[in-house]
Amino acid sequence: MIARVGQIWANATPQVRRPFYVGLAVAMVLAMLVGLGVANTETFLALPSTFDGVASSQAIWGLKPSNLLMVLPLGSFLVVLARSFIGLKAFGLFTPMLIALAFLQIGPVMGPVVLCSSVLVGMVVTPSLLKLRMTRVGFLGVLISLIVLVLVGLQKLLDTNLQVDAFPVIVCALCVERWWKQWGKDGAKPAAKMALNTFVLAIVIEFVMVSDFAMALIEWSPLLMPATMAVAIAILGRYRGLRLSEIGRFAPIWLERRRKAKAEKSAAREALPEGVEEDRRQGLPDTRRVPEREPAPYRKPELVRLHPSHGLVLAAMAKHPAAMRGVRVMASVAELQDDADRHVSEPIAEREARARLRLVASGGRVMGESGVGWTADRVGPRQLIHNAWVIRKVEDV
Amino acid sequence: MFKAFNRWLGLGQGGLMEGEILGINMRNALIQKYNPRHAIERARDKVAAKRALEAAGIACTGTVAVLEDHQQVADFKPTRDMPDAWAIKPARGSQGDGILLAVRREGNTWFKGSGTPLPEDMVMHHIQKVVDGGFSGDSAAEDAALIEPLIIADPALSRIVPEGLPDLRVISLHHTPLMAMVRLPTNESDGKANLHQRAIGAGIDMETGKITRAVVKGTPITHHPDTGVELIGFEIPGWKRVLELASKCGPAVGLGYCGADIVLDVNDGPLVIEVNAHPGIEIQNINQAGLKSRIAATGEDFR
Repeated sequence: MIARVGQIWANATPQVRRPFYVGLAVAMVLAMLVGLGVANTETFLALPSTFDGVASSQAIWGLKPSNLLMVLPLGSFLVVLARSFIGLKAFGLFTPMLIALAFLQIGPVMGPVVLCSSVLVGMVVTPSLLKLRMTRVGFLGVLISLIVLVLVGLQKLLDTNLQVDAFPVIVCALCVERWWKQWGKDGAKPAAKMALNTFVLAIVIEFVMVSDFAMALIEWSPLLMPATMAVAIAILGRYRGLRLSEIGRFAPIWLERRRKAKAEKSAAREALPEGVEEDRRQGLPDTRRVPEREPAPYRKPELVRLHPSHGLVLAAMAKHPAAMRGVRVMASVAELQDDADRHVSEPIAEREARARLRLVASGGRVMGESGVGWTADRVGPRQLIHNAWVIRKVEDV
Repeated sequence: MFKAFNRWLGLGQGGLMEGEILGINMRNALIQKYNPRHAIERARDKVAAKRALEAAGIACTGTVAVLEDHQQVADFKPTRDMPDAWAIKPARGSQGDGILLAVRREGNTWFKGSGTPLPEDMVMHHIQKVVDGGFSGDSAAEDAALIEPLIIADPALSRIVPEGLPDLRVISLHHTPLMAMVRLPTNESDGKANLHQRAIGAGIDMETGKITRAVVKGTPITHHPDTGVELIGFEIPGWKRVLELASKCGPAVGLGYCGADIVLDVNDGPLVIEVNAHPGIEIQNINQAGLKSRIAATGEDFR
């Protein structure tokens, strides 16, 4: 797995590598800031009425309501990062930032609850609204009224101090409308993905906005945050390379091209004789050396005892009567008895012994076993090979 | 410090030229550089773009009527003013939103390609919605409805699709056409030439006008799934003329980097239906080739 990743990395072009580095750096910084923001959160589940009239953002994160404006540049910076480096698609340009701001006003858990419930109601109601064939303005107006209705209901149900301003209402209404448009255009899945992106981005922005880093900048000087963010956006916003998501999007181009090149290479290799890497002598007379075939490894012949009446034995005996004289082929245990009729081989002339007796069963293998000692010294260098066991003494049995 | 950042971001000497794929960031930079605001506005408004194209002598689709306000809508009577087959388009619509097509007429009722009847009040409601800006994004409160006679595709092209109108997209920089594809509707895309709705995108060789590669939603194919016609190697009829039209479109509207949408009419040959100031970059995946290297070949320095 690691080797595979390393191989992909080695093959990557600089156009792929740079966005990866940049995207990784951005993601790491973001993760750090989100961690700081989460660590900075006093409470997740408390409802605003337990804060004794203190604004939610101050009670939970120590962010004064007057400073909410200050974190907006940070939010826009993050939106720029998410769009041009990572390539997250969200509803609207700065909608995630506005949602994050609404979350800061309502609370880290209550915010998403309020948003989701109002958007959900809007989504349920929209199909029947669309059937009324209203103009877009009328549709949006009805949607806003409905969402306010839901929010007021939530206020009554959960907490009367729940701060739901005009502006989360507008954000919700726009989200619902975008959602339906996207749904109608691309289908449910891309629309849901986009909604999820928007939501996740809003949460990330929310926590980065309340991280120690942002707080420290705001505390230091009210001018510092907008100025820093303006400079940062001006530097990073000019990025023109690929987005992180585009690496995945255009990966098929690189991958298929590689695959094609590989297939072509292997096809070219198939056309050449075995073992030759590439044909460097195209057009010249073919003087390539074909490597010698490695000899097959030695295999010990298998010994098979043939029946004396076997065709091959008979044939061999008929062919070399002299060599077989005195040799008795034992076919059964009875023949090993003392009184049984058996012969001992007699010395054979060298010339005859040279005629190697082969009892062939298959593939030209030697199928016999020779008498070991006596033929070697008496008959000569060549050993008599045949299918019988030569028995010289009774003890041999 | 600033220089180091630039290098890291790929804005240094070699960094801008590297690579062959045109990303959305670089595309936006090109649009910012070459497409002036007023030209983008003109391209976005189909009526204004059509006027500019016709003024430059570029063959466009015909026009039945342009309804720009409620007064004109009130005076308009479909049964009197509309032909048998037509297309209603919002002038500022995007990605084919709000386009209504009628293919035939019986008495006072028209019929969509799918066979759904379109009585007169339904047509009027659609026009009303278009003029109200219901298909025109967030910015426009009012819009114009553009009514055109329905285009019948060249039989050579319509033979390879089950229904709908195939259209060609040619991306060009100034006068140079860079890359082209043809979008072929399928049964699954409901006759629409929209790649998101599973229409086929087929890359075209710029020299010969032959289809080199066809893709449905990222999967390469060789034959049309509905008609079974072989796509690879199919030659677009009148390719020279298509390139000629595409190279004139951008300058006519005032755009440097643009995508021209061209259809092949049965009678009039290649006609421009639209010029896009923000052409998508998915065409690279379909052609399996990078736009950036082709743009670099025209002498662009990407600054």
